[in-house]
Amino acid sequence: MYKESEIREPLILNNKSLHDITNDIAAPIEGTANKWWWGLFLFSLMTFLWGAGCLAYTVGTGIGVWGLNKTVGWAWDITNFVWWVGIGHAGTLISAVLLLFRQKWRLSINRSAEAMTIFAVVQAGLFPLFHMGRPWLAYFVFPLPNTYGSLWVNFNSPLLWDVFAISTYLTVSLVFWYMGLIPDFAMIRDRAVKPISKKIYGILSFGWSGRAKHWQRFEELSLVLAGLATPLVLSVHTIVSMDFATSVIPGWHTTIFPPYFVAGAIFSGFAMVQTLLLVMRKVVNMESYITIKHIEYMNIVIMVTGSIVGVAYITELFIAWYSGVEYEQYAFLNRATGPYWWAYWSMMTCNVFSPQLMWFKKLRTNIAFTFFISIVVNIGMWFERFVIIVTSLHRDYLPSSWSMFSPTFVDIGFFVGTIGFFFVLFLLYAKTFPVIAQAELKTIVKSSGSQYKK
Amino acid sequence: MIKKKKYFKSLDQLKENSVVSKIHEKEFIEKLPNDLLSMNNTSKSDSTHTRRDFLKMVGFTTAAASLAACEAPVKNIIPYVVKPEEIVPGIANWYASSFYDGHDFASLLVKTREGRPIFLKSNDKCSLGGVSARVQASVLNLYDNNRLKNPKKNGKTISWKKLDEEIIFKLKKIKNENRKIVLLSSSIISPTTNEIINQFKKEYNSSHVVYDPVSSSGILDANKIMFGLRKLPTYRFDLSETIVSFDADFLGDWIDSGHGRDYAKNRNPENKTMSTHFQFESILSLTGANADFRSPIKASKIGEALVNLYNIIALKSNNKIYDVNRSPNQEMLTKAANSLWKNRGKSIIVSGINDVNIQLIVNKINQILGNYDKTINLSNFSNLKQGDDNDLLNLLEDLRENKVGAIINLDVNPVYNLSSAKDFQKYLKNVELKISISEKMDETASLMDYVCPKNNYLESWGDCNPYSGIFTLIQPTINKLFNTRQLESILMKWSKLGLDYYSYLKSFWKKNILGDKSWNTTLHDGFLNNPNDYKKLLELSQSEVSDIFGKNGNSVSIDSSIKKVLLNNNQNSIDLILYSKTAIGSGKFANNPWLQELPDPISKTTWDNYLTISPRFAKELGLSNENTSNGALNGDVVSIKSNNISLEVPVLIQPGQAYSTLGLAIGYGRKGIGDAAENVGVNAYVFMKNFNSYQIVDEIKKINNKTHEFACTQLHHTMMGRDNIVKETLLSNYLKNPKSGNPELFLETHEGPQKPKNITLWNEHDRDVHWWNLSIDLSKCIGCGACVIACHSENNVPVVGKEEIRKSRDMHWLRIDRYYSSDMNENIAESQGKSTIRKFLDMEVPSKSENLEVVFQPVMCQHCNHAPCETVCPVAATTHSREGLNHMTYNRCIGTRYCANNCPYKVRRFNWFNYSENDKFDFNMNNDLGKMVLNPDVTVRGRGVMEKCSMCIQNIQKAKLEAKKQNRKLSDGEVDCACETACDTGALVFGDVLNKKSKIYSETKNPRSYHLLEELNTKPSVWYQTKVRNK
Repeated sequence: MYKESEIREPLILNNKSLHDITNDIAAPIEGTANKWWWGLFLFSLMTFLWGAGCLAYTVGTGIGVWGLNKTVGWAWDITNFVWWVGIGHAGTLISAVLLLFRQKWRLSINRSAEAMTIFAVVQAGLFPLFHMGRPWLAYFVFPLPNTYGSLWVNFNSPLLWDVFAISTYLTVSLVFWYMGLIPDFAMIRDRAVKPISKKIYGILSFGWSGRAKHWQRFEELSLVLAGLATPLVLSVHTIVSMDFATSVIPGWHTTIFPPYFVAGAIFSGFAMVQTLLLVMRKVVNMESYITIKHIEYMNIVIMVTGSIVGVAYITELFIAWYSGVEYEQYAFLNRATGPYWWAYWSMMTCNVFSPQLMWFKKLRTNIAFTFFISIVVNIGMWFERFVIIVTSLHRDYLPSSWSMFSPTFVDIGFFVGTIGFFFVLFLLYAKTFPVIAQAELKTIVKSSGSQYKK
Repeated sequence: MIKKKKYFKSLDQLKENSVVSKIHEKEFIEKLPNDLLSMNNTSKSDSTHTRRDFLKMVGFTTAAASLAACEAPVKNIIPYVVKPEEIVPGIANWYASSFYDGHDFASLLVKTREGRPIFLKSNDKCSLGGVSARVQASVLNLYDNNRLKNPKKNGKTISWKKLDEEIIFKLKKIKNENRKIVLLSSSIISPTTNEIINQFKKEYNSSHVVYDPVSSSGILDANKIMFGLRKLPTYRFDLSETIVSFDADFLGDWIDSGHGRDYAKNRNPENKTMSTHFQFESILSLTGANADFRSPIKASKIGEALVNLYNIIALKSNNKIYDVNRSPNQEMLTKAANSLWKNRGKSIIVSGINDVNIQLIVNKINQILGNYDKTINLSNFSNLKQGDDNDLLNLLEDLRENKVGAIINLDVNPVYNLSSAKDFQKYLKNVELKISISEKMDETASLMDYVCPKNNYLESWGDCNPYSGIFTLIQPTINKLFNTRQLESILMKWSKLGLDYYSYLKSFWKKNILGDKSWNTTLHDGFLNNPNDYKKLLELSQSEVSDIFGKNGNSVSIDSSIKKVLLNNNQNSIDLILYSKTAIGSGKFANNPWLQELPDPISKTTWDNYLTISPRFAKELGLSNENTSNGALNGDVVSIKSNNISLEVPVLIQPGQAYSTLGLAIGYGRKGIGDAAENVGVNAYVFMKNFNSYQIVDEIKKINNKTHEFACTQLHHTMMGRDNIVKETLLSNYLKNPKSGNPELFLETHEGPQKPKNITLWNEHDRDVHWWNLSIDLSKCIGCGACVIACHSENNVPVVGKEEIRKSRDMHWLRIDRYYSSDMNENIAESQGKSTIRKFLDMEVPSKSENLEVVFQPVMCQHCNHAPCETVCPVAATTHSREGLNHMTYNRCIGTRYCANNCPYKVRRFNWFNYSENDKFDFNMNNDLGKMVLNPDVTVRGRGVMEKCSMCIQNIQKAKLEAKKQNRKLSDGEVDCACETACDTGALVFGDVLNKKSKIYSETKNPRSYHLLEELNTKPSVWYQTKVRNK
């Protein structure tokens, strides 16, 4: 009996030829920006400048312009830091982990996901730097040789581990991303007609000629970097979580934090990728490459990680009750029913309930709904960090010091500014970089002629 | 400037292309663009400068300007040309002195550095009075930028010489016209000042009126009636087994700041016995907060309660009984009466109500109980309050009738602190010569013709006779900062005694007080005890003294007093109690930012006065307090009317306050005495009719749509069922088991229950040199806040102002936590089947019952030996010392605040802004004068760094170096923390626990000792001792 297995749905729709792919991906770079791009860019730029103004005000006057107080020493600053780092997780996961697992669907989204990662980590880095009372002395955190003999950094401090973890992550991500860009830059270079852009893309493409030796090196380095980056996916947010987990504050001092934070990071990272790509595929006509299939896959990742996060939340509550520690019990009760109950329940609704809707195929393949949920998840994940940081700090051990936190316009301005900065970078990227790894994507173009079977 | 004319030196030079001109050109290859330098408007064609020159110049000037800007301001330290013999830079000098401002008295040691007084502490040799928070803070008044700096006439500066001439001329004229010359002052306890005033009186035929804004006239008059001696007794709370107080805040602000020390002596459970303290009061005072039994009582009902108490005692002692209604507090009164009766002769009953009838009944009860000459000592009387309210009323009458020709204010402020200030102000216009001798251009001084600036007491000589037979000296510790004179010199000058008060003082003492004692020794010691001659002299003058030992007091009837007291018993009135706060007191020091920022011990509110009201009464009137989104407290505003005067005041809901009674602090609402006091609170003196702190409110009305912003340092008021924060027990339980209330803590592990200290990941630190520990006895701590101010002064702690306090950003290194008891606890919740959520919500509410209990707990850096802050700092700015201290290296700190977050005690303080030299924080650290109070041994922290208690490491270091120089070991008691020296009650003990003979070592072995949050195993170096109540 002759049995033919069911034909898989192709990852690239509309029978694109290799030339079509080249044309499609080079189009936004070679064409002129439309008014949507300009509008969005100028708006982002203005928010960015507003944020920069708030930052200048902070550095010039003092951290006191934020809403912090003697009890709540971190609030929006570290919330935003963890949020952005979390967002920066999807890129490496998609490019490195999925590469190792030979998941070909990653090819149409990895470029943008990595770009998002890098831009998000840049935003994230701003917060630990400028939350310092004296940012001009930030270099103290590096183990620099000095004339003071034994004066050295404190290797016990999770904040120092952060410095290393984040900087390593940024470096590896940046190299990985850039390496993938080289053949694509070469493609743009080859098509460029204007001498300046030819020159620039020529420099950027490092003299790529597409020789077999180049491709061999490219493949090898991809694997090596993927191998290096994979542990980083786990380590970065594990270390970020240790800022809290190694402390003594009830609500922070929790051993579940590393896996819980990593899951949350992937959760929020994928949500951000969704948000960006859903817009981008429309604006730069990439519907053939970023298909419903891709969206569905990512939604499944969101659903799974969202469930892990949900389990973590419930485990936390259970352990608080089971531990019998009155401070721990109160901390969690206070999260859910105290003055910040609204933050806790926003988090719960956004992160635990909303992704469960993805069990329905109809919903997870619906673009509008996916876009909505991706925004909701990112709001929820922001609240998760806010809940962990602020509700744990504001009522800890001695009730005499209990206090509340309320952001000032500077807190808000700085945060909104980083969103602006992020979009400025991303829009510039979308205009000048090949947004899909076309060289690699071309390897999965079907040439079997199966379309003729229909 | 280019000159059109060219002068030539030779003919060759004039010729073109001559040799000379060629050589000349080579000499200066390019001409300097002179025209650019000049502002001359030469035409462009004439200009010889090029575009390049312009750029060069711009470049050069920009670079030069920016280079010049880069240079740090140069501050020179100028060495002494001739070094004063007694000053060694870096070494403090201590001088014995005394403090008296008409309100508080204390014998002091003044610490000076390089000739600047910077710190005050109690003169332990005599321990007279008490160095309260206010006295501690008085050192800052010296450096108040708003002090009067020159003599003034009608607001314009005038020389002393001219002023003296004019005043003497005018005084003579008024004297010759036979019109009254009045000296107005508060109580004066200086024998020489009194002598000088007598001279002045003789010279000008003047009279002297004494009044105290916070008056004790009632007690004085009652004693006059009963014993023939118009004096205050000394109260011996240390000898009293039962203490009953009716609205007397004797630990707070009542008569003598030394009461706390005496009181604490008999509050030590280690003695196996403790006094029992009953407090019947309408507002929750510091004293009430410390009482074993406290009964809130409506102010107008206090008389009735007192008569009831009298009746019970009279019944036991077969004295006359009076008809009176049963008091609502009868049960507690009976208990108190039984306790009083049981401890006859070892008990004490006091009342803070300034009413002669109440005080007569109080005297009578004390007399029946035989307390006179035992716990209440009139033979060893106190001079601290002498004012006579009637004298002032008579003066007002004289002023009204235009009989007064001249009025001389001796450092009093009637325009501010008289209820009839408006009348006073009106009559003042008729007085021909108005003079104020004052440190400030205060409310009264600003209305005077002449204002004579007075020295601060730290710039003055002086003497005090606070108690009979005890004399102390005041010596200057700094040269006069401004063109001022001391009060005595001013009066001496006008009385033709010259200006040299010092010689006058010395010769007066030699003649009258010193006897065979040496002046220098007395000055060194600061006091002189029991100089018999003078005592006899003084006692002889009191010839009418009938019965100071209280033996024959029965002869004085209290029938009419009881009648009058019961007449005042108003059933439905709303009462107003005008109280004075521990920090601001009578308001004289209202411009002291340290005091303004010292939270009220009970309400924990700073920079304000407000109407305190019981929760129930507030609810009935529809008044509320609410927390804003950043936690800060907002309160409704009401308008109250009493004696036809209306004021708008914010309302603060105060648990433990009696229903239908309102409390309002005096001392606020100052005008024109400085920026710190300006616009802070309202002046409550306007209500204080007849110097009576108890008044009736005619009307109280909520003002809609108006809220007041409070600045509180503590927003949460109960312990939330966490009973191991402040551990408590009862004396009876403690006697049975010294560890009661403080059981050994065990944590469950897989190896069975373990003590927390046995479960650890960390290695122990080496402890081989010293190990500094601090212990705090919660039984002795009365919560007064003197330690907070001492810490401020010693460690240059910045003042941040109301707005920042509202944002919970106080900088106090040492704070005093105050918790109220709650009606909800674990057991009640279980028995009532309350849900956990409900339980915690109920726990947040302070007890509504009569049994509201209050505890105080001073908290500073605990100097953990396994410190959570140390592990998290990325740059190792906070580290552990070999001597058990948690160090903070400001230079290394980058300000991540991680340490503060991870501190379970929340004692770390962050410099959110620059608090010094910043116009937004215009307190003492923003002007050169105010900065003189800074301790040169302690860094002033810049913005962006963390700071916290260092256990006064500068003092440790100093003592260690001293010992090293002498090649010996440090002995116990050589090192002290500022808070420890400030604590009059001896609640704080500091020392080296490696010294097995030290006091601190024995404290750590005390069965009452425990660590705060012991289960966290942070191994603090600070110990607390269980609070023991005698119930």
